[in-house]
Amino acid sequence: MKNNNIILYAAILIFGVLAPFILPAFKVQLSILCILIVLALTWNIQGGEMGYNSFGNILFYGLGMYICASVQVGMFFPLAEWTESGGEKTFVHSPTQFFQGMAFGLLAAAIVPTIVAGLIGYSILGLRGHYFAICTLGLGVAAGEISGGIEIIGAGQGFTTPPFPDVGSLESRGQFFYFLSFIVLVLTFIAVKSVYSTRFKLVLNAIRDNEDKAEAMGIQTMKYKIIGWMISAFFCGLAGGIMGGLVGYIDSTDVAFDGREMGVFMVLMAILGGKGTLWGPVIGATLFHLFKEGFWTYFLGWQYVALGVLIVVIVIYFPEGLMGWLREKYPERFGEVVDEADRKAQVELK
Amino acid sequence: MKLNKIILSFISALAILLSSSATSFAKVVGDKIVLGSAISLTGKYSSNGVHTQNGYNMAVDRINSMGGVKVGGKTYKFEIIYYDDESNPKRAAQLAERLISQDGVEYMLGPYSSGLTKAIAPVTEKYGVPMVEANGASRSLFTKGYKYLFAVLAPANLYLDVAIDLAVEKNGGKPVSVAMAFEQDAFSQDVRLGVLEAIERTGSKKVIDDKLPKELNDMAATLAKVKAVKPDVLVVSGHTKGALTAIRQIAEMKVDVPMLAMTHCDAAKLSKQHGKNSQYALCASQWHKTLTYKDDFFKDGMTYDADFKKLFDYAPPYQAAESSAALLVFKDAFERANSFDKVKVRDALAATDMQTFYGNIKFAAGGQNVDKPMVLFQVMCDGDKCENKVVAPTKWASAELIHPIPSWSKR
Repeated sequence: MKNNNIILYAAILIFGVLAPFILPAFKVQLSILCILIVLALTWNIQGGEMGYNSFGNILFYGLGMYICASVQVGMFFPLAEWTESGGEKTFVHSPTQFFQGMAFGLLAAAIVPTIVAGLIGYSILGLRGHYFAICTLGLGVAAGEISGGIEIIGAGQGFTTPPFPDVGSLESRGQFFYFLSFIVLVLTFIAVKSVYSTRFKLVLNAIRDNEDKAEAMGIQTMKYKIIGWMISAFFCGLAGGIMGGLVGYIDSTDVAFDGREMGVFMVLMAILGGKGTLWGPVIGATLFHLFKEGFWTYFLGWQYVALGVLIVVIVIYFPEGLMGWLREKYPERFGEVVDEADRKAQVELK
Repeated sequence: MKLNKIILSFISALAILLSSSATSFAKVVGDKIVLGSAISLTGKYSSNGVHTQNGYNMAVDRINSMGGVKVGGKTYKFEIIYYDDESNPKRAAQLAERLISQDGVEYMLGPYSSGLTKAIAPVTEKYGVPMVEANGASRSLFTKGYKYLFAVLAPANLYLDVAIDLAVEKNGGKPVSVAMAFEQDAFSQDVRLGVLEAIERTGSKKVIDDKLPKELNDMAATLAKVKAVKPDVLVVSGHTKGALTAIRQIAEMKVDVPMLAMTHCDAAKLSKQHGKNSQYALCASQWHKTLTYKDDFFKDGMTYDADFKKLFDYAPPYQAAESSAALLVFKDAFERANSFDKVKVRDALAATDMQTFYGNIKFAAGGQNVDKPMVLFQVMCDGDKCENKVVAPTKWASAELIHPIPSWSKR
């Protein structure tokens, strides 16, 4: 690793660790930022590198959320009684139960969506282009409606996740969820980065650029597509599990299988930053979150209009995302060799 | 390499931006008591969110112009910070956190709907911030042992169970058959539980029990079943959209049913929007302008109705009235606590026992208002002019219940 890189990563890590202490009032927003970056990073595996515009990653996020909460409750108390009539009975988790439940819940929240992705991947990833996009869009919607009818997870009444136990100070809940989401973000980044440094990424790019040709070259594209989706599902599930605990209340269509918000945001964020790059989704998600929070504060009631304008501006002026735009403007900074004479000739041509 | 510099400078810019925007102002600024509220200004609850906000605003103006709140010999004025929760529980929880930890709010007003209140209550409870809410009726809110949650309204399971009793009474005390259609959301599902209990209590039978999707735009399938099964009572609940959809499609499909019981008729302005089509609908309501409760600020229901119409150009639904009442409760509690200490205000709230134009308010240990019964009104038309008239309980009834509803062929 180059010196510069080490400084950069160290700076980010230090900022990440210190953030809740420097900005104590923003812990929840920072945790959500971490979750958003995880979602954008994992969406980029499909949408950016593989060229498969998936609206279905929200399925894994929602699954993870319900599974984590269910395990956390079900390990110690009867789940059906917890959710009955919208939570008539209240059981209180002791601190040990809460953290144990959360640990096992997150484990399940990562593993089950991964398995689901593997199972449905074979049929769904056979579709291409618009058909794939529409099919995955349906996945999220269907999951939302189905889970809204399952009594044991609260159905339409929603599912109140276990409240954070009385340990430490008022700040400890925020810190706990922040560090949890930050750790997941770091893990996701490391995983994605290491995957991108192998042949795997080249295969995904080959699928994006010409799937038939890739197959003709003897690459088992389906295998790679499924593995890619499973990686996404693993981290989406984790993100969902954390988000459920953070929000404290799971609603089938508005919080868990929130396709029209989270499902669309993860696409937007990756495109804003530049899909098909490692840093694009990170920058896109950060900018997006900042803009959104800003619009919410200063354009009350008009925030979605402002967001719409932002999207139009992105599509018109930065169709390749911020990273794409930067790359075009300063190719040498991205390690591309530019022939000065050639560039001059191009400028003169214009 | 240089790319790293870009990213580094980007991160530092972000850090500076975040830290400079952390403006924290306290709960009481100068002569202002700052209340916080997340309200649905957009999304599926936006119309009811606006009713709630109008109710809050009207009460703030009224209390401020009539002398404000007197604490420790000084006069204070109310001010509310609003955020838009987009009808989304996830957003609502975030905003509650933001109001408390960033804006320094120490007293909260509730959002619209049970689901959003369910998402906010754990946050206010964690920080020990007293919240008076006027629009979260789900019973499970009051069984969680929340100490800082106070609701001026009766719980959701009491909305329509009276209608079943009424139907049984009209049926000569014999059990009835009930068709139910409820939206998949915390409030409507709680209303359903209340109806189920009433069905069990009276030995009645449920013949249809449909769950309808959120943002209810079509319930033709349920209505087709109702036409075939011919139940004695049809119960529908799905906020404003549910009420509008039900009336529109019942009229289109000419569904005949002896009793139609619903929620949110006045919030949906049914009698105005659908006129004669909404005739005979029986509606659960927390409040009606003809009730005879009184207070010093709004005088009584009729005056509130007139003043509200003058300000906002439409008749106040109960969602607005109960929201106004929430501020009267807060004012009363601040003055009795004679302090801005959160715990003292909370204790004063718990000891509330007062009458407002909206009804008597007295909180049970769980935080729900136990001193105010629900009323049922029926949409009645005289020519083309339709009005909501209270038919139950008999203490306030201004008209006799019309039962059974005449069939469409005879209207």
